[in-house]
Amino acid sequence: MKRALTCSALAFVLVACATRPPRTPPQPTGSIETLAAAIATDAQRSDHEPDPQAREQLAADALSNAEACLAQQPRAVPCLYGHALALGLQARVHPTHAIELLNAMLSELTSAEAGDADYDRAGPARVRALVLLRAPGWPLGPGDADSGLESARRAVMLQPDYPPNLLTLAEALAKTGDAAGAKETYTRARKATEASTPTADRDDWLREADEGLRRR
Amino acid sequence: MATLVFCAPGYPGAAGDAQPFVDKFAAAAASAAGWPAGSLAAVYDPTEEGGLAKLGGADAVLAFVPYPFFIEHGAALHLTPIAQADVAGTGTQERWTLVGKAGSVAGPPSLAGYTLLSIAGYAPQFVRHSALEGWALPADVRIESTGQILSVLRRVASGEKVAALLDQTQAAAMPTLPFAAQLKAVTQSPQLPVAFIAVVGSRLPAARSKAFQAGLLKLGHGAGDADMLSSLHLQGFVLPKVP
Repeated sequence: MKRALTCSALAFVLVACATRPPRTPPQPTGSIETLAAAIATDAQRSDHEPDPQAREQLAADALSNAEACLAQQPRAVPCLYGHALALGLQARVHPTHAIELLNAMLSELTSAEAGDADYDRAGPARVRALVLLRAPGWPLGPGDADSGLESARRAVMLQPDYPPNLLTLAEALAKTGDAAGAKETYTRARKATEASTPTADRDDWLREADEGLRRR
Repeated sequence: MATLVFCAPGYPGAAGDAQPFVDKFAAAAASAAGWPAGSLAAVYDPTEEGGLAKLGGADAVLAFVPYPFFIEHGAALHLTPIAQADVAGTGTQERWTLVGKAGSVAGPPSLAGYTLLSIAGYAPQFVRHSALEGWALPADVRIESTGQILSVLRRVASGEKVAALLDQTQAAAMPTLPFAAQLKAVTQSPQLPVAFIAVVGSRLPAARSKAFQAGLLKLGHGAGDADMLSSLHLQGFVLPKVP
């Protein structure tokens, strides 16, 4: 799964709000696996979607799918994880609600990780790391690079050869001031990507590793 | 097309994600100024280098910048403030606070050999001569930018030779930290502007600049303005008061 899908859209500075954004469409149907896959697809499309209105629609679809999933099985890891991703997409399109949404996202990721830390190739820890690394930091939001590094290390410990986990760890090392560690990890991520089965995401991973290495 | 460049180094936000919100701001501000619809574009850049590059473009007629950026680059870019931002939760002015480890930092000489980290660390002129005016930092203090102020405060508390310069929001939240007792607010700046909208050089004719200023001062008073402004954490604008 893509790694950029959690990042909030945050403008000049952020405001924490106490109310939820409006909910939209009727609840879809399908197995929890189908709904989780639909959320993942929405998230991936959102990452490449330049049109704000289209991103808003994808976020609404993802939330709708996540709520339908949770309605079937409130404690199922795919639903908790999918709900976390959907909240991340919501944060991206509703910046005035972003802090509340990101906090809720972290809470869902905690539950998902407790249920199955290996889900989506250590997705709960990886996504948690990305939120902590990219969300607005204290005191505006939950961003905390030190904690993000811990989560990224956990993801790599669980799934050491999965390129997104290595890319996340490299980003965490860079943000916490370990330039040498970041460079080494971007290099590992590139090698792991080259050795991986070609997928739609492979080019993105290579590009991200190369960009990370260029910045070092 | 005339462009308003938002530049906020150290603050969160990616350019693409912020674009819809600065677009709405530009449309509302142009409308309030009586400018033709679609005559003002807006672009956001969260980095100092990127913001400077965009402000170097001939289409960049207006800049929305934090006060530290204005102090650091205002003269070189020929920025003339026309409005001062009223930021939600902060206001039009704020104080900056220097924080060191309790019991370790007293007067300026005690910071010799330290690194001073701040969200405004990209603007050393601001740090030395505005925020810490009257509190002469030793010459060997290194001033660095950071977006990770919580990590910095942990380093301060642990006794590293590091100090932090906090904006008003950060300083107000400091007592909530579990290690707050190990931190000490050493000195505070006078009240300083938070952010300006400024004209870049002579790229905007005086009459259009006046009209835009009048439009900005109206923002926040009209129906629908509040939502648009709150997405940028703003409440409105006042006439600028440059210290």
